[in-house]
Amino acid sequence: MDFGLTQPQELLRDSIARFLAQDVGIERVRRAMESESGRDEAIHGQLGDQGITGLLIDMDLGGSELGMQEAAIAAQEIGRAAAPVNFHSSYVLAPLLLAGADAGDRKSDLLEGIAEGRSLITPILDAPIDDGQIEGTVLYVPDAAWSDAFLLETGGSLYLLDASISGIDITSLETVDDTRRVAEVTFSGLDLGAAESLGGSAENTRRAVQAAQIALGADALGAAQKGLHISVEYAKERKQFERIIGSFQAVKHICAEVLAEVDPVQSLLWHTADAWDGGSDEIDHLAPLLKAHATDVASQAVTMTTQVFGGMGFTHECDMHIFYKRAGYDRQMMGNPTALREQAAAVMYG
Amino acid sequence: MTMTGDASFNEVFFTDVRVPATNVVGRPGQGWEVGTYTLRYERNMLGRSNATESYLAGCVDILRETGLIDSPVYRDRLLKLEGRMQAMKYHQLRLLTDRLKKRDSGAGGLIVKLNNCQLNYDICALAIDGMAERGVLKRGSKHVRDYGNWQRNYMYSLGLIIGGGTAQIQKNIIGERGLGLPREPKPAAA
Repeated sequence: MDFGLTQPQELLRDSIARFLAQDVGIERVRRAMESESGRDEAIHGQLGDQGITGLLIDMDLGGSELGMQEAAIAAQEIGRAAAPVNFHSSYVLAPLLLAGADAGDRKSDLLEGIAEGRSLITPILDAPIDDGQIEGTVLYVPDAAWSDAFLLETGGSLYLLDASISGIDITSLETVDDTRRVAEVTFSGLDLGAAESLGGSAENTRRAVQAAQIALGADALGAAQKGLHISVEYAKERKQFERIIGSFQAVKHICAEVLAEVDPVQSLLWHTADAWDGGSDEIDHLAPLLKAHATDVASQAVTMTTQVFGGMGFTHECDMHIFYKRAGYDRQMMGNPTALREQAAAVMYG
Repeated sequence: MTMTGDASFNEVFFTDVRVPATNVVGRPGQGWEVGTYTLRYERNMLGRSNATESYLAGCVDILRETGLIDSPVYRDRLLKLEGRMQAMKYHQLRLLTDRLKKRDSGAGGLIVKLNNCQLNYDICALAIDGMAERGVLKRGSKHVRDYGNWQRNYMYSLGLIIGGGTAQIQKNIIGERGLGLPREPKPAAA
């Protein structure tokens, strides 16, 4: 058996990378970062045109009906570009939760909208639904301020709530990683009848959450690889004490150590995505282990490669902080490494 | 004799030895190339991950036996090693596929020895910590676990971090050949 990407998967990776390099360069990322809202309105439609929003959506609904391996490829490239999009939430968690919803026109419309990049549906897991009421506050909801609808999940059941109805109060929160924003969402006095019940199952939610965790791990890997790349380039050019700094072992060994840790994460990511696609039981420990390991390695990588730039590494002008913060967001969201290692341990060792 | 107490390498004296020309490996002048090729093979062997996987399984046995598998601190250390081991295991499958397809693995091929030797060492360290005071015993002692293999392998794997090109030499190779960073300039003659 060959291990690694197939030729079509390599072509997909190259085409996504090319699109992001051409259309979502670092200047555009910085514009979104520096804007008040952090929103890049056009990006969703562009990602839709490229087929990136519909990777996990059936072909008859406008998607390409591919798998987690392809979604992970996209997530990694998006992380490498630090693109202002919560791919794991909007284009992994949302379509996979919806895929397990009861069949019907509504489900088809929603998935078609996502595949085209015209609907932004934000899932809220473990939503505050009790006794027929939606009542309570949820924190750290991605893209809440510009979502078209919230997909509320509780115990595997899904409810779609139009974001524009009254009774939803959204307060943006200030985030360290300006490329992706989260908000506090308060639901008050809302009858569950205001939301559309879509069915769903606990098993479906479990699979979708694992997929989103893999996507966050992939995003962190892409960010770490980009951070290593730009610091190695810098180390080849920058002179100090009349020497190229990359010729100093103190600098060279940082780069070598980071590469040695980062490179194998790629293979663990491929294997984990494969396990998800194949429906293997292994995924119950692999998904949390992959996210824990990938984001831990990524944090350490960006911590070290930032130092390759010396004082420049601490400046706003240097791009390094963008990847540093990107890896931090990926690390904290949907389970940090310590929590996820415990989750994997519980599966493996009881 | 090495720090493990075994004699696993020797001091060899050659006096007036003559070797027939037909015994030359490769061509005269090609010695460095032959030597580094052999070393590359040695490094990959030192880094093979099935040994690492069985070390880790043995380590889990110790932690189960001592009940430490339920300690959050030990579990966290164990799972960190599990993540590293799994990543290297699949990394080696990737390298194998590259070789079968005659594809260049780039810097990926240069990191195996560095990572796996350190990983083996860290796994042995956790196993010995898991044994607490029993960890001080060596082969032949009453009460020693697994014939003292953990204590021996803990030291032996330190030897392997050094042997076959030290970790520091590996980092130079990864930096220079893998990442294209410039070599250390030769010091100017005094």
